[in-house]
Amino acid sequence: MSDTPDLEARIEAALRGEAPDVGELLPLLQALFDRYRTQQRLLDRLTHISDQFQRAERDRGDSYAENYQRKVRQIEKIVRISDQYQVMLRELNERLHTISIQDELTGLPNRRFMQERLTQEIALVTRTSGRFCIALADIDRFKAINDTHGHAVGDAALAAVADILRANLREYDVCARWGGEEFLMLFPGCNVDDAAPLVERIRQGIGEARLSEAGLEDVSITISLGYTEFQLGESLDATLRRADDGLYRAKAEGRNRAIRA
Amino acid sequence: MDNLDIPQTSASPAIFADGTAGTVTMKGDSYPENSFELFQPLIDWVTAFLKAGQRPLKLELELLYLNTSSIRALMDILDLMEDAHRKGLQVAARWAYEAANERVGQLAEEFKEDCTFPFDIVPKA
Repeated sequence: MSDTPDLEARIEAALRGEAPDVGELLPLLQALFDRYRTQQRLLDRLTHISDQFQRAERDRGDSYAENYQRKVRQIEKIVRISDQYQVMLRELNERLHTISIQDELTGLPNRRFMQERLTQEIALVTRTSGRFCIALADIDRFKAINDTHGHAVGDAALAAVADILRANLREYDVCARWGGEEFLMLFPGCNVDDAAPLVERIRQGIGEARLSEAGLEDVSITISLGYTEFQLGESLDATLRRADDGLYRAKAEGRNRAIRA
Repeated sequence: MDNLDIPQTSASPAIFADGTAGTVTMKGDSYPENSFELFQPLIDWVTAFLKAGQRPLKLELELLYLNTSSIRALMDILDLMEDAHRKGLQVAARWAYEAANERVGQLAEEFKEDCTFPFDIVPKA
């Protein structure tokens, strides 16, 4: 590089026609050509380095994008799996809820559910001066069925009675398994006169039903019932006690009957 | 290599890493409050075990419920195993679940999806 000004001065002089002869132009051309080649090599190297930088930058960008895509996929997968665990928990929750309000053997609502339901019904009729009736049913001589035919038949009888009760109720009536062989029914919007034919239909339904499907051809099943209307202002216990009195009387008077209380 | 033994709690699984046998077992539910605190020692253990690269590693899972950060930790462990597998190390996983709880089996399949090493999902009767 140090010869640059000198070389340039010499070339400029030659271009002005100041060069003495052709013999002196040749070394000048050689020097110029060397210069050109050096510059060309330098330019090639620069271009090459610049290209490399560009490529490295592009790769870096690509790896960021790739990394980002990988992370996004991972997060999507975590979210998907997490959602499935949530579904699993929700289903478990629903199952536990069902178990907590349903009697396993008969599929009817259990005592806990019925107690809650009756409390709500009392609140409703108290607010609206409405009415409702309940009926307490008990399978006659259930202990004898168990003793004679065994517990499996006893269980089948309970399930069969539950099915018949369910089939004979109106859409908005509720029947729960209240205790061992006891069932409690709720008839919303009914006074005791309205309830009487309902209760009678249920009693007859049990008496007439053929229980052969449940393998109970030779088992005769009847139920006794006590039914009563809720009196505004009284406690649930009082209503239940009255239904229970009716049931007791039905049993005492020979079973397979419904007694108003 | 030392063993790692983290006892089960109501919110975290039993974790046992056996350096001699080359097994890691995880059993139970996992919804710890601080999953980093729970899983980091295990992730460190697995990293060190695989780095030593002397023995095969077997992951034995019997997990039921996992919260989101536990899912992430387990995926990190499976990723470590996948990397090791690609480098030629022998690794395997086995996930046992109650046959009645089919959903857990489906979830195990999700975890297995990106793994190319042997990963058995086994219903227990």
